Amino acid sequence: MPAKKKIPPVLEILRDNIVNKGNPLALNAKQNSSWVKDLELPAKGDILFYTGGEYQLLPYIDSLVKTMTIVDATSSAFSLLMGARKLVNMTGINAEKIYASALAKDKDRYFSINYKAASILRKLGYEICYDSTGELYSGALLHELGFWKELKGYAVKVSDAIRATGAKTIVCISPHSAEMFKQVYPEIVDFPQVEVKTFIEMVWEKRDLLPPVKYDSPVVIHDSCRMARDLGIFQQFRDVLDAVGVSYVEPYRCKEWTTCCGGPDKMLFPELSKIMGGRRVKELADTGAAKALISCPYCLSAIESGNKDNTILVDDFVEFIYRGYEN
Amino acid sequence: MSDFNKDFGEYKKDLDKASKDENINRALGRAVKSYRENTDAALAKYPHTLALAEEVRGIKDYSMENNKQLLDQAMKVIESNHGKAFYAEDREAAIRIANEIIGTGKVIVKGKSMLGEELKLREGLEEAGNEVWETDLGEFILQLKKDRPMHILSPAIHVPREQVAEIFSKFFNKEVPPDIAEEVAVVREFLREKYFTADVGISGANVVAADTGQIVIIENEGNVRLCTGAPPVHIAIVGIEKLVPTFLDAMKTAEVTWRYANYGAPGYVNIISGPSKTGDIEKVTTYGAHGPKEFYVIFVDNGRSKMMADKNYRQALHCLRCGGCMYECPVFQVTAGHFGRTYLSGIGSVWESFVDSVDAAAPMLYTCLRCGRCVERCPMKIEVPTMVGKLRSEVVSDDTE
Ligand code: SF4
Repeated sequence: MPAKKKIPPVLEILRDNIVNKGNPLALNAKQNSSWVKDLELPAKGDILFYTGGEYQLLPYIDSLVKTMTIVDATSSAFSLLMGARKLVNMTGINAEKIYASALAKDKDRYFSINYKAASILRKLGYEICYDSTGELYSGALLHELGFWKELKGYAVKVSDAIRATGAKTIVCISPHSAEMFKQVYPEIVDFPQVEVKTFIEMVWEKRDLLPPVKYDSPVVIHDSCRMARDLGIFQQFRDVLDAVGVSYVEPYRCKEWTTCCGGPDKMLFPELSKIMGGRRVKELADTGAAKALISCPYCLSAIESGNKDNTILVDDFVEFIYRGYEN
Repeated sequence: MSDFNKDFGEYKKDLDKASKDENINRALGRAVKSYRENTDAALAKYPHTLALAEEVRGIKDYSMENNKQLLDQAMKVIESNHGKAFYAEDREAAIRIANEIIGTGKVIVKGKSMLGEELKLREGLEEAGNEVWETDLGEFILQLKKDRPMHILSPAIHVPREQVAEIFSKFFNKEVPPDIAEEVAVVREFLREKYFTADVGISGANVVAADTGQIVIIENEGNVRLCTGAPPVHIAIVGIEKLVPTFLDAMKTAEVTWRYANYGAPGYVNIISGPSKTGDIEKVTTYGAHGPKEFYVIFVDNGRSKMMADKNYRQALHCLRCGGCMYECPVFQVTAGHFGRTYLSGIGSVWESFVDSVDAAAPMLYTCLRCGRCVERCPMKIEVPTMVGKLRSEVVSDDTE
């Protein structure tokens, strides 16, 4: 038997949670779908609204990272704590603590992004459904972190859950899920014959129906790496802003040349990630725009971390467009 | 078995420290800005470069596919040019061959070579009792500082002039002011003497033409001209991936390399195909006229054929070492070569996985953001994020047995 390689415990925790609980932080279906509130979305239909539980993770990520970094990975005590389970017990990293440490206002905000996105789609005339009891995380982190073997098995469960909704189109609010379903799943699993779309593409198609957003000064768009480089989606955001009557400026690096928010390093290199987030915030602020628009949950979290001294106002693209309906 | 957690912990501390280092911050800030400006200007001035880069991608594809044959051809033609060609499977073989050529008690002047760094060539020659001088200014600073390169083209990118002055004042045993021109001048004076008294000159190569056996070395300082021209013996060490079929292919590859290394045209392009010779007296060819009498080329594998054999990673061998991707890497921009070992940043993590091991490269593999901006910059369009993803799956695969 090959010797067990010792990988950072945070990776093992994420992996096990995804594989066993269908979510990186083991949030349950009830927690995950609590954003739905009064929307009464059917569980089956042609157009499946897919959150993948990603925005729902955001209120907890920072406290998880903080807890994970309490232990100095180079100390001798650390090597005694190797197995993930042991680490979880001995340092008190447990789900309840992490959930309890999330701020209510963060939770309200991030969860509501799903609500606003679903509402916008509905108002544009899309009859969406949502699998509030069976929705599983896309497994993007398994792919990202190298757990490809686990992903193969896990992807079957996700595909089955999607198939069960009978959807012909799946609308992903996160570019990471869209990338998984568009580019990764077809290679590794019998993925249902659905059209995979991002939220922004759906909105773009009906952008003429959007109400104007009252915002007098130009905004700046932070393109997400996945969205811009892997999915080739960046012009759509600009077109939508034109449609709602908001002007925008471009940062030095944008579109296919966009600068990463540093988010992918958040779990293993939180300090470094924050510095990179801060540098991107500076690039965005250097345009003179007072507000930056973000279109990926992980970018949102990383940009917020890099923006602790409020250099720039940060909205998710969904929140910004939704303002048109709130006017 | 390396302990990923322990290695990882040390490495992470080092990265965090680097990201807060004012010197690195200042130096990298300036370097990134000037790289971007210079490259934009060079590409605008020579707009054919984009199409040329695409052509070179084709040349590289063909060359990797036919590497064995090109190596064979190059070795034969180098011999027929009155040089000597060797093949070294790994570091041990390369150092042994070099030491057999050189012997002991010799003075050696050396040009910059990433392969040299990979093989720890200087250490290998010193252990055999030789005196080795790095002649690239950046490498010379690092030799004195006992440090390693923090960028493949500008190795001492992280050392500001004030620190250089301190290092030089100590080494030369006189006050060297923190003035760049004066710093350059003291090294020039010191190394001049070395070039003309050295027994051996060592260089790398940017590209090698298999049909003519010509090795091409791009440089700006002029040190490579001296290293490869003044001593009686010249040894070139070359990775087998540097071979291309023809001289014209080599020129195309060289032009793309320097253009993406931010030059319209570099200071010098050295093209060497054999020992120095003359037929001026009675048309009798005599070797060692003004330049070296002996010319050796050591082709080194050290993990490359393994990379070549795996179609998932072969593309990494197309790397021209232009360094462009590093300037666009958000991690490199704040940590310089601390995100690296011999080879740096994302592409470096792939190279380290082969010239060392996947285990050794693991911390680097997990630092890469997989953001993909390097691919936009890369003239060879090397899919680093895809390779990093696949290598990560190799890192964790034992764990999931
Ligand atoms: S990976 Fe591409 S951009 Fe980076 S050094 Fe190599 S050729 Fe240049």
